[in-house]
Amino acid sequence: MALSAASKSFLLLGECVPCLKHNASKFKIRRFELDTNLLMYFRKVDFVYALDPEKKCKTGDIVLIEKCPEQLTRLITHKINQIVYPLGDVVDPLTGKRVVGGKFREHTEAVNQVYGKMPTAFEYDSAPDRGWLEDVKDFSHVDTYVKYHESGEDQPHAV
Amino acid sequence: MNIIRRKELSTFLIPTLLTCTRNYAFKSNLKIKWVRPEKIPCYNPAKSGDLVPMPKLDKTQLQLEFRNSQELANANDLVKKLFSLEYAPRYKTTQLYLRQLIDSTKRHNQDEGSIEAKIARWTGAIRAMQDLVEKFPHNVRLRVKLKELIDKRKKQLKYLRRWDYKKFEWLIDSLNIVYKPQPLDFQSVTRKESLRKLTDKHCEDIRSDRLKTFRKQLEAEQPKFLQEKMCTLEFIRKEQEECNVEVTVAQEEIDKVKDQLTNLHKHTPI
Repeated sequence: MALSAASKSFLLLGECVPCLKHNASKFKIRRFELDTNLLMYFRKVDFVYALDPEKKCKTGDIVLIEKCPEQLTRLITHKINQIVYPLGDVVDPLTGKRVVGGKFREHTEAVNQVYGKMPTAFEYDSAPDRGWLEDVKDFSHVDTYVKYHESGEDQPHAV
Repeated sequence: MNIIRRKELSTFLIPTLLTCTRNYAFKSNLKIKWVRPEKIPCYNPAKSGDLVPMPKLDKTQLQLEFRNSQELANANDLVKKLFSLEYAPRYKTTQLYLRQLIDSTKRHNQDEGSIEAKIARWTGAIRAMQDLVEKFPHNVRLRVKLKELIDKRKKQLKYLRRWDYKKFEWLIDSLNIVYKPQPLDFQSVTRKESLRKLTDKHCEDIRSDRLKTFRKQLEAEQPKFLQEKMCTLEFIRKEQEECNVEVTVAQEEIDKVKDQLTNLHKHTPI
């Protein structure tokens, strides 16, 4: 059986997706595969597990992963090299400044200062790191499902 | 001849008939009871993610537009009462509530159009409408408007999460909203599929239970095994020393086993 394209290359860039494993993170790898009959490239998605005992990668992060010299378990074949773009906390590689959408954070902050910033407004410096609302009010780090059974227990991940 | 053939048939066929079962269109032997979850309407706070309803505001407060009026400040109590929320239509109370929510999240004094101010306004409007829908459940236009607003808020929250995660977390915490993304593979709930999932879960539970009991059994056997290992290692070492042969068992190895045993005794409840 031919190996999938993702398993051949040494370094891969993947997007972290929700995963229930304790010591590993799951990554979605998008590739283009050549159809030799049509001579056209088609999008192909592969999923790869990488060793991540501290769970540094959060859902949505863009991460560089590399292949382990030996396969660790049946599933885990890779390890994490670098988190390139954490979701929602992107740094512009040219200037090294933080970016929100299409604007620099600094610029928005300067505008706020000109108009008179409210004391109740959001402060980036005092804000805690991502993940403090996980399983409290933010359930975007897990795979949600449509509720199919009324068991009487609380089902926080059901929609 | 017939008798012989019948005998042969019975010996061959009966066991095979007993063992073979139809694997389609059969009800499962497992006693799993499936309860169909009650349908929650999309505009319900349980679905929209609003943890708190619209609070009951103090009705003796002045209406929003007369807050800064100098004439009203000097007027008598009766006039003030006439301009309070008590004698104003409902939307005046909603207006005040929206203003409070926007003020709690806005960036600067003039801010009305930032994403946090917008989401705060929509949240206030949604909660006010949810209150109304409970009173007038047949008002279809209101229901549709409410659903559209909930969807719009959710979409903007999705974008905010992608662009600025810290602000997204702060906003849902300060507005008391629960954010749950839609599942990737959306399927309507069916009896067959639900039973399949419940059976899988049942099997998984059995597996984990058995693994747990096996683990406990092994842990119970651990002290006896370690004791035996220690004795054996000591015996081997002693014999090797007495026979003047190369000693293959190090003292550290024995000490390690001893430590393990003492640790085990410490942690096991008496």
